[in-house]
Amino acid sequence: MTAAAAAPLAVVELQDIRKIYTQGELVFEALRGVSLTILQGEMVALMGPSGSGKTTLMQVIGLLDRPSSGSYHLAGRDVTTLGENDLARARNEDIGFVFQAFHLLPRQTLLENVEVPLVYAGVPPRERRARALDLLERVGLADKAGSRPSQISGGQKQRVAVARALAGSPRLLLADEPTGNLDTRTSEEVMALFCALHAEGTTVVIVTHEADIGAYAERVVRVRDGLIESDRQQVPRRPGVAAPLPVAQAVGEA
Amino acid sequence: MTVQAGETVRPVPASAPARPRRGGGIGLGGAFVIAWRAIVGTPLRSILTALGVIIGVAAVVALTAIGQGSTAGITRNLESLGTNLLTVQSARGGGGGSLVRAGPRQTVTLKDAEALSTAFGARIAGVAPTAQSSVQAKAGDLNAQVTLLGTWPAYETVRNSPVASGSYFTQADVDGRKRVAVIGAQVVTDLFADTPDPVGQKVRLSGVSFTVVGVLPDKGNSGFGNANSQVIVPLSTYIQRFSRTNSASGQPTVSNVYLQATDKDDLTALVTDVTDLMSTRHEQTDPDNLDFSVQNQADSLASLNTITNTLTLLVGAIAGISLLVGGIGIMNIMLVSVTERTREIGVRKALGARPRDILTQFLVEAALLSLGGGIIGIGLGIATAYAGNSFGISPVFSATPIVVAFVFSALVGVFFGYYPAARAARLDPVESLRYE
Repeated sequence: MTAAAAAPLAVVELQDIRKIYTQGELVFEALRGVSLTILQGEMVALMGPSGSGKTTLMQVIGLLDRPSSGSYHLAGRDVTTLGENDLARARNEDIGFVFQAFHLLPRQTLLENVEVPLVYAGVPPRERRARALDLLERVGLADKAGSRPSQISGGQKQRVAVARALAGSPRLLLADEPTGNLDTRTSEEVMALFCALHAEGTTVVIVTHEADIGAYAERVVRVRDGLIESDRQQVPRRPGVAAPLPVAQAVGEA
Repeated sequence: MTVQAGETVRPVPASAPARPRRGGGIGLGGAFVIAWRAIVGTPLRSILTALGVIIGVAAVVALTAIGQGSTAGITRNLESLGTNLLTVQSARGGGGGSLVRAGPRQTVTLKDAEALSTAFGARIAGVAPTAQSSVQAKAGDLNAQVTLLGTWPAYETVRNSPVASGSYFTQADVDGRKRVAVIGAQVVTDLFADTPDPVGQKVRLSGVSFTVVGVLPDKGNSGFGNANSQVIVPLSTYIQRFSRTNSASGQPTVSNVYLQATDKDDLTALVTDVTDLMSTRHEQTDPDNLDFSVQNQADSLASLNTITNTLTLLVGAIAGISLLVGGIGIMNIMLVSVTERTREIGVRKALGARPRDILTQFLVEAALLSLGGGIIGIGLGIATAYAGNSFGISPVFSATPIVVAFVFSALVGVFFGYYPAARAARLDPVESLRYE
């Protein structure tokens, strides 16, 4: 997929994004001028070693953190100048987060966890319940709707987290090391879920340092030292099938 | 379900659910549900957190109920001792204030009482001078220590002390210095336990034989002194047989002269007139240092009310302090709670919670803790007050302290919950998601 093909909408448009952290005398530039466009319907892997700035980039894209300079348009809207409340609203409506540590709310049932974004969106209870139940069914956990997070496995937790991320029908599904706490088999299950969502047209960005996981994406953006090192299309690995080639090689050939 | 390669998956419902309103966020209802979960999730901790408020509110409710109960009791007792009452008695510690002299010098005489009874005509419904002492009473083999009271027949109406059976002695009995007596309920129990009707029986008072003509009803053991162990006899008989106190001029003295005014509104004027008359009779020149005093029953009630108001103020101060301490306890735990739930706050923010939503959530939690404490405290206070009932004080509950305690506890929660809640609302989402 190329930008020229059908001129699809750019979900994320970053222009010369910089992020500088200062701690006393110490100044650290985590992002040193990143420009990146992610189109609607893409599945992108953000890769890089730890300390490369990929997490900071993810936080900027996810509106959790503000860039020090540069411009960010989310679905055409300039979001760098938004106030605290508008940012919260944009996170609620446009971004669906999936975290490495799942971050389900322990006291809430699975159904209530999925409902959380809808609660903040102000959706009436009956409606959000129905929607949350739909989504739990979608990830195959409708029968556990009343369970607590402590009663289910890690893979199941991450599926609930995906359902929760989808609750607000976001423009962008943003997953931060979504398989980092999972074993190989459940990692594959979760990645299959992402692939299926991608196949339906959901825009997915996965932050990972694992080549195995990056292989599922059709586009790999490598970050190093606060800069984009490479940005390549690749033939994605199919869920349930072993990677056709060692990923590093595949990326290198693309 | 495991999504396998090639498996067709049901599409996510494409249309976003209706987004009817924005700006309301979670709202109070949503915040209430979250807060309730947090509170019942750690019941022991929640109780301990609210304990300060519970104790404070319980103290207020119990103390005011007991205080009002005892005030009401004392007022009832005072009023049961006669209405529209003026008391003339010797000045307390009057005349030089020597430390050696024990008790007041008796200055009010029988002649004063007689003068008072004739001076005011219809303005006075009755006059009853009294003199009393403690004597040994005997009937048959039984004996008891009693309070012997000499007075006039008007005592019955002036001091509101009618007989249960028999009758009072008459003016003729006073004039004839008859040895007749009206005895209290305790005296009946002590001396005439086996006699069906003590009226007409003989009783020996300090060796002098009296005939019982009337029996007083059981007045309960509340009030001043034990009214049930009284023996009332004609004042003339008392002076002749028992009195050893005389004034400086050799006149027999009495301890009190009770005057009952006909009209309640005349009491204040009557106090002045009685004081004038007595001053003249006692040749008193310094109105600030009289050798007698005139007391208005209404004044006693007023001074009682002053005491009550002071006590109420003290209770209020205790309540204020304990609610303050309780509020600090809530603030402390809320700060801990915010720190513990830093990650939850980060997750909620990532999922679209605005600072205001987080603020509301924690504020409602603090208010709920405090309000819950207030409600438990009210219950506990009422229970405590009723427990006090077994010590003879029946509590009187009024809405004001309960409502004030309730409202105050809610305010304490909001006030002391605000800082922790504001801290939670200000947390940086990145920092809080990273928090372990």
